[in-house]
Amino acid sequence: MPPSILLLLPALALSAVVFLAPFVWLASTSFRTQAEGSLLLADGLSFDNYVRLFADPFFLEVLLRTLAYSAITTILSLIVALPVARFIVTRAGRLKGILLALMLVPLVSGALLPSLGMLHLMGPLGVVNGAARLMGLPTVKLLGTPTGILIGLVQSFLPLMVLPLVNTLARLPTDLEQAAASLGAPAIAIWRRVILPLAMPGVVAGSVLVFCATFTSFVTPQVLGQGHIATFGTVAYQQAGQVLDWPFASALAMVALAMIGLLQAAIAIGSRLIRRQEAL
Amino acid sequence: MSDNRLSRAAAACLAATMLVTAGLPAVAEDFKGKTLVVGTWGGDIERLLRQNAAEPLEKETGAKVEFVLGGSGDRMARIYAEKANPTMDVAFVNIYEAPQALKDGMVEAPDPNAPYFKDVWDGMNNGCYAMSLVGLGIAYNKKLVSKPPEWADMWKPEFKGKIALSSYPGSEGDGVLGVAARLAGKDEHDPDAAFGKLKELTPIAMTYTNLDEIFAMMDAGEVAMAPMISGYVLAALKTHPDIGFSFPKEPGPVLVRDMLCLVKNSPEPELAKKFAALALGVKNQTDYAEQLYFGPTNKNVKLSSAVSADVIDTPDEVKGLLQLDWPYVISQRASWTQRWNKEILGQ
Repeated sequence: MPPSILLLLPALALSAVVFLAPFVWLASTSFRTQAEGSLLLADGLSFDNYVRLFADPFFLEVLLRTLAYSAITTILSLIVALPVARFIVTRAGRLKGILLALMLVPLVSGALLPSLGMLHLMGPLGVVNGAARLMGLPTVKLLGTPTGILIGLVQSFLPLMVLPLVNTLARLPTDLEQAAASLGAPAIAIWRRVILPLAMPGVVAGSVLVFCATFTSFVTPQVLGQGHIATFGTVAYQQAGQVLDWPFASALAMVALAMIGLLQAAIAIGSRLIRRQEAL
Repeated sequence: MSDNRLSRAAAACLAATMLVTAGLPAVAEDFKGKTLVVGTWGGDIERLLRQNAAEPLEKETGAKVEFVLGGSGDRMARIYAEKANPTMDVAFVNIYEAPQALKDGMVEAPDPNAPYFKDVWDGMNNGCYAMSLVGLGIAYNKKLVSKPPEWADMWKPEFKGKIALSSYPGSEGDGVLGVAARLAGKDEHDPDAAFGKLKELTPIAMTYTNLDEIFAMMDAGEVAMAPMISGYVLAALKTHPDIGFSFPKEPGPVLVRDMLCLVKNSPEPELAKKFAALALGVKNQTDYAEQLYFGPTNKNVKLSSAVSADVIDTPDEVKGLLQLDWPYVISQRASWTQRWNKEILGQ
C-alpha cells in the first residue's frame, strides 16, 4: 500500500463516520416500514415506500414540478449570471474582490434569511406592491405563486452560477476575442462562436450546481410558496417532520438523490461524447 | 526549582477547591457535573422554563440544564432514533404525540403517585403530563368581520378565498377537520364529510406556519379569518389592534394540550422529575397564563379574573371544548395528509 493512502486514512475514516454511515442508515430506512399504529420501524425490508411513491400520481406531479422549477431556475440564472460574470472579469478592476465577496454573502447566510427578506419584498404590503400601490399601479401576487418561488430560487442560487463562470471567463485569453474582432466578427458572433464555447465548462458546472441545489431546496419553496406549492423538499419535510413517517421520507430523499445521480451521469457521458467528437 | 514551585501551587489550589466544595450543601454534590437535557419550543416558552424551572434547579442541585430547541416533530424523531441510548431527558410534545410515544415505549408512563401528577386536573395526563391548555378558535380581521365569528361564518360566500389554514398535519388542521365534519352533521370519524365540507373553503388564501406571516396578511386584508390556537395569538394581539380572536360556541373551541414527557431510560431521571415538578408547578404555570395565555393544568394556580377570562383554566371550561378522538385521528394521519395535499391545497 503506498504511504499516501495511509496519510488519507484519517480523513477517509472521518468521512465514513459523518457522511457514509448516516447515508447508509438513510438508504436502509427507506426499505423499512412503520408497524400499524406505531412509529417504530417494523422488522423486515420491503419496497412498500417506493411502490407508494410511484403509484400515487400526486408524487409524480410533485417530481415533475420540481424538475421544471430546477430547469427554469438554471436557465434564468445562466441568463442573469453571464453578463454579471463577464463584467466582474473584464470591467470590475479593483472592485472584483468586493463584488465576488458580495456574491458570496447569500450563499453563506443560509437559505432562511434571504427567503424571509424576499417575503417582505414580495408581500402584499412589501416593497414591490407597496410602491405599486403608491403609484396607483395594479399589484401583483407573488407570494404563493410559482413566479414568486422562481424569483426566490434564482436569487438564492445565482452565486452558484456566477462563481464557476467567473472562474472560466477569467482564464480565457483575450487574444482570441481580439483576433475575432480584427477579422471583422461582430460582438454577437464573438460571444456565440468564441466566448460561449470556451466558457462551456463553467456553464456546465454552474448549471449542475444550480439544478441540484434547486431540486433539493426546501426553505425557499416553503417560505415563498406559503404552503400552496408542493416540491420534493417540502413534501419530504412534511413526511419527516409532521407526519413522522421517517421511512417514507427516506424513500423520497433516496429518489431525489437518484435523480441527481442520473443527471450527473448524463452530463459526464454527454461531455465525454462531445470531447470525442471534437477529437475527431 | 520551578517544578517544585509549580507543584506547591497546584497543591494549594487543590486544597482551596476542597475547602470551597466542602462548604457547599450536600445536595449540590449529588448532581454536580451532571447535565439535564430538555427539548422544547424556542422563544417565550424557553424563556419561562429557563427562569422558573432550569435556573432554580441548577441552583438547588448544581447540575446544568441544557435546552434543545425546535418543533415537537424534531423531538419525536430524536427520542425514537435514540431509543437504545437516549440523550434527552425531558421532551415537550403535543396532545397527539404523547399517547403515541407512550404506546411505543419511548416515554415513562405518568406516575399517579407523583405530587405533580395529583396537582393536574383529573384525566388530563394522557400519555405524558399535561402542561398547558389551549383551544383552537378563530383569529379574524376586525375590519372585514364585524363581530366575533362562529365557525359557520368562515363558509359565508363573502369570505371565499380569504380563509387561511395552518400547514398540515398538525393540531390546527385536525381541529378544523373535526369542526368541518360537525358542521356537516358528522364527526371526525367520517373523513369524507370533513374533507367535503372543508373543501368548500378552497381556494384558501394561504397556509401559515408562523404568526408574523399570517398577521401581516391579515393586516393587509388578504386574509379575513384563520383557525388558530389561543395562547401566543392572544399575546400577539396587543401589537395588532385590527385583529381579534374568537372562541366559537357551535361547536366550541377544539381542545389542544402541550405535554411534558419524561423520556424512558434517560440519563438523568431524578433531575428530570425535579424539572417536571418545577415546570408543572404553580409559579411557572401562572407565568404561562399571565404572559402567554396558556391555560394552567395545575389545580392550585389562582388567576386574576382578567387573565382567567382569556385562558382555559377550569375543568368546566374544558367540558365546553370540542375533544377529538386523537388516537383515531393519528391512525389516519398518512392518508389524511395525502387528502389534504390533494383536496385542500391541490393546484
